[in-house]
Amino acid sequence: MRARIFLTLKQHRFETITVVVLCLGVAVAGLVEAYRLNSIQFPAGCTPSGGGYGFDPSRAPTACDLATQKFHDISWAFDMNMVALFEALLPFIVGIAFGAVLVAREIEQGTAPLSWALSGSRRRWLMGKLLAVVILVVPLLLIAGLTADVRQGAMNPGLDPHASFYYYAERGVFFVFWGLAALCGTVALGTITGRTLPAVFLALVICVLARGMWEQAWDRTILRQLAVPQDSSQTSGYGADLWVYQTDQYYLDGKPWNGDINAWWNENIVCVGAPTPAPAASPTASPTASPTASPTVGSNGNVGQAAGPIGCQDGGTLPDKVMPPMQMTYVIPGNQYWLVVAVESAGLFLGALFCAGVALFWVDRRRPY
Amino acid sequence: MTTDPTAEARIPGVAMQAHGLTKRFKKKVALDNVDLSIPAGSVTALVGPNGAGKTTLIKVCMAFERPNSGHVEVDGVDPWKHRSAALRRVGYVPQTPAVYRGLSVEDHLSMARSLHSTFDTEYSRRRLSQLGIPLDQRADTLSGGQAAQLGLAIALGTRAKVLLLDEPLANLDPLARREFIQVLVDAIRTDGSTAVLSSHIVTDVEEACDRLAILGNGKILLDCPLHEARQQHILTDSAAPPKGGVAIGSFAGKGLTRLTLWRMPEAGAGVTAGGDAAPAPDTASLEEVVLGYLAAGRGTTGLQLN
Repeated sequence: MRARIFLTLKQHRFETITVVVLCLGVAVAGLVEAYRLNSIQFPAGCTPSGGGYGFDPSRAPTACDLATQKFHDISWAFDMNMVALFEALLPFIVGIAFGAVLVAREIEQGTAPLSWALSGSRRRWLMGKLLAVVILVVPLLLIAGLTADVRQGAMNPGLDPHASFYYYAERGVFFVFWGLAALCGTVALGTITGRTLPAVFLALVICVLARGMWEQAWDRTILRQLAVPQDSSQTSGYGADLWVYQTDQYYLDGKPWNGDINAWWNENIVCVGAPTPAPAASPTASPTASPTASPTVGSNGNVGQAAGPIGCQDGGTLPDKVMPPMQMTYVIPGNQYWLVVAVESAGLFLGALFCAGVALFWVDRRRPY
Repeated sequence: MTTDPTAEARIPGVAMQAHGLTKRFKKKVALDNVDLSIPAGSVTALVGPNGAGKTTLIKVCMAFERPNSGHVEVDGVDPWKHRSAALRRVGYVPQTPAVYRGLSVEDHLSMARSLHSTFDTEYSRRRLSQLGIPLDQRADTLSGGQAAQLGLAIALGTRAKVLLLDEPLANLDPLARREFIQVLVDAIRTDGSTAVLSSHIVTDVEEACDRLAILGNGKILLDCPLHEARQQHILTDSAAPPKGGVAIGSFAGKGLTRLTLWRMPEAGAGVTAGGDAAPAPDTASLEEVVLGYLAAGRGTTGLQLN
């Protein structure tokens, strides 16, 4: 097996060298950038938040101002952006680079008949090649992912990267699982098309779509089960203990609201001093969904009616501190980080297994030319 | 209880056989109800023009193509049903030497060893060394003849019972062809394996083979031992039939003389002409036998002997 792994990597040595250099390069660059940021050593109570570059020229700069400016000089610099860009692309580059050539190049160069005639089982042949690549790329991507964690932590002083959803999908173990998914997906495309370039182009398109839709898809399906209404203790910000995974803002009582927000308001707003409301007609609304709900006060009398302007009728008045429902934010607390990472990683891993299954199924049926 | 799929199917003395084998590529019929039986230990020349179906037949035997109907057995194993078991019994040399760019000759042998459980690396290494092919040389820098020898060494290293060689001589110069044939014959005679060597140039395989199968338009036109093919056919330059002869086909011979190939019922029986005025018939060379059958298979007399 050792000979097989060595020969597979030697056979694809261009990809091997590229991937090793790229992964280690990104890892080292991330560590260097993190070191530069960490070496600023912010004064106690000072954080680089606030977003503005520079400071008020009418007063003498404080130590915090100077540290903040120095911090932004580094964190907003071109090289930092390049590191961030490569970190975001790395798993896909690695996966596509190896995935496209693993089967398709053998078919293109006419070596597949030789290998397949010798191997007998094409599935075993492909699994051997996949294993060789996986053994190489998993540690490399893990190293790059962990250094991305370090860099992201340095970019946000006081942030625990493992209790925060800040750019959480572009660092850590996700490097490995996105890389595996891209690898297996591209291998499947290469096996089906039998051509390297078409497999690369198709894989690029699919990866862009998958990455773009990934978080939204998880928001709308699995992750909303973990979301809880945001309260003051979960406020995000530099130095906060918990960073939140903010789900979309149109959650109402844990369910999505797709209708007119005014209609929801008219059905659920509880006005002070109005008669007791009739039971709510909307299946999506419940007393707990209203941030101003109170069982002791009456309603505005608009239950079940068509949407109209917000306001109270029948002598009722709007309660103080009305919070419109669209402002209610559901979040996943940062202490759920590992759970979310595990769930999403499992999803990616299953996707990778599915793609590998497609490749193994197809390689057994296709012609070697 | 045995797991060997050949336990019941293997027919003694038969290395490879095809029954009613048909393969179509859309409207083109590559193999048309082919029946063929290759005796164990024989070296069969599978001869036919380009597009006759030789490569398709070999690819079906390698489970690279699935037949539309009929089936083929290699050492008693249907490659499509039991691919692994069938391929363990086959050594394959593709039409174009398949070498991995960047891998050395030795790497190719190591790869073959890692893919094929019974691959005999030492055996292949020895054969390549005898030919003076450096093991540390990159395979993509080998000459055409050396690359073909590497392909043959890998196929022989599998120690397979059946060797399928798909026009391995097509891209080689005359000297490389001769060397290739020499190595092949030597190995087969030593190992006692069976070989099917396809070619569209009959003179290439004449000295290596003891059996001839002519394939034309997807059909087997002749399948017999080489000596029978020579003895049972005669050639005349007139339409006058030799006594008891069956006309096979006519083609333009050297000097554009129209020649007719006749098959005689018994070996050596047709060496006298049928009519007094008819010229004495010639024993047909193997190339002429092939041309006669191909002319018959093509339904034309337009073939020309160069």
